[in-house]
Amino acid sequence: MTVSSNCVNCPAHNSANLVRLGIDMSNFDYVVALAGNPNTGKSTVFNSLTGLRQHTGNWPGKTVGRAEGAFQYNEKRYKIVDLPGTYSLLSTSTDEEIARDFILFGQPDVTIIVVDASRLERNLNLTLQVLEITDRAVLCLNLIDEAKRHHITIDDRLLSKKLGIPVIPATARQNVGIPELIKAVHSVASGEYICNPYKMKSQIKNVSHAVDDLEQKLKTEFPNLANTRWIALRLLEGDQRVTDAVKSSEIGNLTPAETENA
Amino acid sequence: MINKREEILKQATRYRWEIGENLHDSILESIYSEAANIAKVVVTRDNEKRKFDWDRWIDKLVTGKWTGFPIMFLLLAVVFWLTISGANVPSALLASLLVDTIHPILKSGAEYLYFPWWLSGVLIDGAYLALAWVISVMLPPMAIFFPLFTLLEDFGYLPRVAFNMDNLYKRVGAHGKQALTMSMGFGCNAAGVIAARIIDSPRERLIAIITNNFSLCNGRWPTQILIATIFIGGAVHPMLAGFTSAAAVMSVAVLGVFFSLIVSWLLSKSVLKGEASAFSLELPPYRPPRFLQTLYTSLIDRTLMVLWRAVVFAAPAGIAIWLVSNITIADITLAEYFVKNVNPYAAIIGLNGVIILAYIIAVPANEIVIPTVLMLTALTSNIAGFGSGAGVMFEMDSLSDTEMLLRSGGWTLLTGINLMLFSLLHNPCSTTIYTIYKETKSLKWTLISTFLPIAMGIVICFFVAQFWRLLV
Amino acid sequence: MPKRGIIARIKKIKSDEDKIAVEDALKHLYDCEFKKLDCSLNSLTGNLGLKPNQIAQVISKLESMSLVTLFNGKINLTEHGRDYATRVVRIHRLWERYLAENTSVSENEWHVIAEEREHETTDEVAEWLSARLGNPLVDPHGDPIPNKSGEILSKDGVTLNNLGEEKYARIIHIEDEPKEVYAQLTAFGLYPGMQIKILENTKDKVRFLADGHECLLAPVLAANLTVQEIDKKEIVTENFDNLTALEIDEVATVVGISNAMRGQQRRRMLDFGIVPGTTIYTRLKSLKGDPSAYEVRGALIALRKNQSDLIHIKKLKAS
Repeated sequence: MTVSSNCVNCPAHNSANLVRLGIDMSNFDYVVALAGNPNTGKSTVFNSLTGLRQHTGNWPGKTVGRAEGAFQYNEKRYKIVDLPGTYSLLSTSTDEEIARDFILFGQPDVTIIVVDASRLERNLNLTLQVLEITDRAVLCLNLIDEAKRHHITIDDRLLSKKLGIPVIPATARQNVGIPELIKAVHSVASGEYICNPYKMKSQIKNVSHAVDDLEQKLKTEFPNLANTRWIALRLLEGDQRVTDAVKSSEIGNLTPAETENA
Repeated sequence: MINKREEILKQATRYRWEIGENLHDSILESIYSEAANIAKVVVTRDNEKRKFDWDRWIDKLVTGKWTGFPIMFLLLAVVFWLTISGANVPSALLASLLVDTIHPILKSGAEYLYFPWWLSGVLIDGAYLALAWVISVMLPPMAIFFPLFTLLEDFGYLPRVAFNMDNLYKRVGAHGKQALTMSMGFGCNAAGVIAARIIDSPRERLIAIITNNFSLCNGRWPTQILIATIFIGGAVHPMLAGFTSAAAVMSVAVLGVFFSLIVSWLLSKSVLKGEASAFSLELPPYRPPRFLQTLYTSLIDRTLMVLWRAVVFAAPAGIAIWLVSNITIADITLAEYFVKNVNPYAAIIGLNGVIILAYIIAVPANEIVIPTVLMLTALTSNIAGFGSGAGVMFEMDSLSDTEMLLRSGGWTLLTGINLMLFSLLHNPCSTTIYTIYKETKSLKWTLISTFLPIAMGIVICFFVAQFWRLLV
Repeated sequence: MPKRGIIARIKKIKSDEDKIAVEDALKHLYDCEFKKLDCSLNSLTGNLGLKPNQIAQVISKLESMSLVTLFNGKINLTEHGRDYATRVVRIHRLWERYLAENTSVSENEWHVIAEEREHETTDEVAEWLSARLGNPLVDPHGDPIPNKSGEILSKDGVTLNNLGEEKYARIIHIEDEPKEVYAQLTAFGLYPGMQIKILENTKDKVRFLADGHECLLAPVLAANLTVQEIDKKEIVTENFDNLTALEIDEVATVVGISNAMRGQQRRRMLDFGIVPGTTIYTRLKSLKGDPSAYEVRGALIALRKNQSDLIHIKKLKAS
C-alpha cells in the first residue's frame, strides 16, 4: 500500500472536506478523545489529525496533562483531546485517572483508541477497558507497516466485527489511513455507524454473585446507566471517584451515548 | 433516594470484605484471557518468512557485556564532538553579526539620538551585549545537540542507556531513568530537571532533580574548552595539546557523572532515605527516526524554550555587569573594590576575585562567565589595549591574546584547573533554579539543589589548591 | 456529638508527649479488647515503656476524660474511648499500607513511621490517603483497617459458598444459629482452624476436601461456614521457579505474582500483561544481570532483580 494510491482512492482525501484547525477550537460540534498505550504513535495520529507538531517522548508520564487540538470535516468541527498514554484505566496513577475520568465523565462523542498492530493482544487490554466505559469508539490499528515488516497480518474486518466498532489500519507517520480514520470518526459521531461494542463475557473468579447483585441494584436506581457491570466492579475495587459519583448520583446523569444525538 | 444509593454503597462494602483484595488481579486476568482469544483469531504470524530480527540484534549489541558501555561512550562522544565542532562556525558568525556589526550601529544610533552615556551604557553595553553573547554562544550548540539527542531518543536508544546504567543507579539508591535525565542535562540542566518527570517515585525523582546540575551543561562547555586549551593544552608538548585538552574536558564531564552518583548515594543514606524501588521500563521497538520532523520539533520544543528563558534572565545580568564596572566610590569601581577585597579569600580555594564576581553576576546564564571574566580581568588589572571599555563584555579573537591577558591577570595552571572544577561544581543557573522550584514546589529542595554543589565546589577547590601548593 | 467533643478535648492536651501517651494507651487497650485479652496496668506499662507513676498519670487522665473505666484492676474502654482508639488504629494502618505501596521505605520501618505519623494526621489527610489507596481493607500485615465510621470486621473471611473451585482455605468461624444447621455441620467433624480445599462449587452443591475426607453441602448450609482463603504455598510447596532464574532465550509460563509485590508495582506488572498463564521469555541481561529484559506479549519489559524475584514461573521447553 503506497501513500499515493491510497489517497487517490480515498473519498476523504479532499482538501474541501478536511481542514486541519491546529489549536483553533472554537465552536466545535463533537469532542473526540484519543486514547492508547505508550509507544503506539498516538501523538503522531494526533499531529496528523490536527496539523500540530507535538513532540512527546518514549515513556509514560512525559506528557503530563492533556493536549488539545481540532480539525474540521464535512462542515463539522471536531475537538480532539489527546489523553496521556496508559496501559490500563484501572490503576491509580495520575495519568490513568485523567484518561479514565475524561472518557467516563467527559462523555466524548467518539473515543479513538490507537493500538500498535504488531502488539495487538497487549493493546487490547486498554481497548476492552475503554469499550466497557464508552459505547462509541473507533480503533486505529497503527504502525501497520511495522507489523508487515515483522510478517504479522491482522484481519481488520474480523476484528471490527468482534469488537463492534470501526477498525482502521493506518501508518500515521506517512498519513496512511488518516483520512479513513477521520471518516470513521465522523460516521460514529453523526450516528451513521451504530457501535455495538464488545462487552466482557467471562465471569471473574469468586465475584459473579456480588457483581450481579450490585448491577441489579444500580440498574434500578439509575435506569439510564449503560455500563452497570463496569461501575459495579469499580465499586468492588473501592474506587473513590466512582463511589462519590454514585453517592451524588452524578453517575446517573451521564447520558448514554445512543440517546444523546437522537 | 439517598438511602437507596447509600444502601448500594454499603452493600458494595460488605461484598468487598467478603471478596478480599485480589479482585484487581482477577479482573486483569480475565481481560487478558479475552484479549488473547480475540487476538488468536484475527492475528496471523508468518514465522516462515521471518528472516532476521534486527531489533534483537541491535539490542544484544547495545546492551551487551562488552559492547554496551563502549557504544554508549562512543555515541556520547560523537554527539559532543559534533556539537562542539559544529557550533564553532555559526557561533562566530552570530557573534560577528550581533556583537561586531549590530552593537556599533546601536551605539552610534544612541549617540545620534542624544542618549545620555549611562543610558546607552545600561541598555546597549549592558542588556544588549549580554543577550547577544547568550544567543551566539548558546543557540548554535543547542540547535545541534537537541536534535541529535532527539534522534537517539526517537530511534529508541535512550531507554537502552537507562537499561545499561540502571545497575549503577540502583546501587546508589536511585532510578535507572536518572541516566536519561542526566544525559538531558548535558544539553541543559533546566531541560534535564523537567525530564525528571518520567520518574514515578517522588524520592528518586527528587534525587534526579538535585543531582542534575552535575551534568555539565552546554553553557559550561565553552568555559571548559577554552580554559583546558589555554592552561592544560599549554602545559604539555604542542603535539599532545589537542588530545590532552579534549581528554581534560571529557574527564571533567565524567567526574560530573561520578559526583552525581556519589551525591545520589549520600542523599539516599540521609535526607532522602530509602531503598532503590522498582524499575519497570518498556524498551520500545527501534523505529527509523524522521529527520525533518525531529529537527523542527526539537528546535521549537526544546531549543527555543530553553533559549527564551536564558534570554529573559540574561538581560538583567548584563545590566548588573555594566553597573558594577561603572559605579564608582572614591574613584574605584564597585567591581575593582570587590575583586580587591575578595582576592585573598579566593586565593585560598585557588581562584581569584574576578572569577567569584563573574560567577555571582553570571548566575542567570553560565554562557556569560567567560566574557565577564575577560572584561573584569582587563578592568581590574588595568591592562591597556584590551576590550572596549568598562562594563563592555568581549571575547578575544586569538587564543594567545586571551592567554596573555589572563596570565597578566595573575592566572596560573592551578587557577585554570580550579576554574574548570568550579564551573562543574557551582550553583545551577537561575533558569534551572527557577525550574527546580516549579517542579518541586518546595523552597527547601530548591535551596538544597542550589547550595549543595557550590559548597562541594568550594571544598574541592580548597583541597586541590592546598595540595597543589604543597606539591608544586 | 460527644465523639467530636472527645477528639477536640484530646487535641487540646497541651504537650505532644502527653497526647502521644494517651493515644498509645488507647491503642493498646483497643488491641487487648480486639484479641479478647484482659488489660492490666502491668501490660500497659510494658507496652508503653513508661514509668509506673507516669502510667498512673496517663490512666487518671483517660479516666477523667471518661475514655476508660477501672474495675477490679482491669482497664476497660468506654464507648468514646473505643471510638477514638479506632480512629488512631485506622490512621496507623492506612499509613502502613501507604508506606508499603507507594514508597520505597523498607518493611521494618513501616510500623515505626506509622507510629509517628498516626499522632499528627488529620481526618482530611486520612480520607485522602484512603481514597488514594483505593479504600483498602487490610494493612500490609493482613490486619483489617476500620472504615471511616469506625466499623471493623473482626473476621475477614468469606462464606464457604462464595469460595472458588480449587481454592484452599481455613475455617475460621462456624455459625451456631440455627441449632439444627450447626448440629449438621459439626456432624461432619468440621472445626475452626481446619484446612479445606474446594472441589466443586455450583448452585446446587458445594463439594470440598476437609482433612482428606470429601464433604458435600447444600449452598444454604455452606453459607454458615466462614473460611479464610490461604495461599496454596501454605499447604503444598509446589515446584516453581522465579523469573530471575530464567536464562536468556528460555521460555516460561507465569504462575503468579508474589503477594510481596504490592500496590502500584503489582498493578504495573498486571498492566504489562504479566498474569498467570502468560508466556514470558528472557531476552536481555544487563552487565550484572540486574536489570533484565523480558518479552511479554510482544513487548520488551525491563525489570530489576528484586521484581523478577517476585514473579513465579514454570519453565517450558523451548519450541
